[in-house]
Amino acid sequence: MVKVYSFEACPWCQKVKKYLDSKGIAYEVRDIELSEEAAEECQKLSGDTMVPVVTNDDVNYVVGFDKAKIDQMLGL
Amino acid sequence: MEKTSVKKDIVIIGAGMAGLTAALYAGRMNLDTIVLENAIVGGQIANATGIENYPGFMKVSGHELIDTVQKQAENVGAVIDEFDVIERLELQNKVKLVETANYIYETPVIILATGMNRRKLPLAEEPKYANRGVHYCELCDGHMYQDKVIVVMGGGNAAVDAANFLTKYATKLYLIHRSQFRADEISQEKLRKNPKVDIMLDTEITKLFGDTRLRQIEILDKKNEITKRLDVDAIFVNIGVEPNVSLFKDQVKLSERGHVIAGEDCRTNVEGVFAAGDIREKEIHQLTTAASDGTTAALLAEKYISKLRGV
Repeated sequence: MVKVYSFEACPWCQKVKKYLDSKGIAYEVRDIELSEEAAEECQKLSGDTMVPVVTNDDVNYVVGFDKAKIDQMLGL
Repeated sequence: MEKTSVKKDIVIIGAGMAGLTAALYAGRMNLDTIVLENAIVGGQIANATGIENYPGFMKVSGHELIDTVQKQAENVGAVIDEFDVIERLELQNKVKLVETANYIYETPVIILATGMNRRKLPLAEEPKYANRGVHYCELCDGHMYQDKVIVVMGGGNAAVDAANFLTKYATKLYLIHRSQFRADEISQEKLRKNPKVDIMLDTEITKLFGDTRLRQIEILDKKNEITKRLDVDAIFVNIGVEPNVSLFKDQVKLSERGHVIAGEDCRTNVEGVFAAGDIREKEIHQLTTAASDGTTAALLAEKYISKLRGV
């Protein structure tokens, strides 16, 4: 399952989610402002709480809206 | 793979307030309109937490306002593509070309509404600490500094509003500016009243120190000629903006400041090319004037197209 670490007011997080929507990719939103657990997961995964972070296996991840890297990771 | 050619009545470059307003008006005139955006829909305003000087709203977030304008434009048929990437513009001929990663758009009218980007911190250490303590978006990155020491650099409205916003995270916030405030009195007053805030005017940041992250800054108090170091966790840089003209700087006339020269009619020196919003050389750059430019550009673009078509 694809996860998007993000928070509601973050413009680049919105862009990542809209992009995944446009490609028909289902994803779980992990809101780092609403959930401490999500913030800790994000920190553990990427070493930081800079968002958006997209992951499809909790190991590989892409920070920010990097379309080429997201496409590559998700096989788009 | 060969790119598909697509004909459009109007191509708008940039989906900030000017571009989206132009799309709204163009759509309502039944013009086949596309807005292309390489970064964020909304531009600078997408990062604004509370807008209190846009008529019709007591207070509205940039995201909410832009989202509404985007929906208004889409409701009248304008297409907004924020995922394709603009690679090249060709403005000189009657039929203008916009080449993106996926398409080649052919159009009689282009509205340039690319807005402005924030100026980078002009220190040699900036690249080392970019996103590692040096930031340009309070809304995006402020949350990383909960209970930390934050610096906001700048003295205009954007800087003071950023500082007011970031006090919700910071244990201590320094507002550092090389000269005196330019921000509205009402925002300054709010900041001055906050006990977490220390305002340092006539002060420059001269050096950054750290390891994998920013840890310390060196500042110069210009009045008293004192240099000292401060332990900080982050700097949010708000020292002005520069026009985003890289896609077309050699094809339209620019002012000395690097903005596109166009009058109140938004017409540039190239026929069929209009400039709207912050990108246009003018004295006042506000959200309201961006919307005004978008309106003017779209209405006059329609007149231009009608004339071309002999309507």
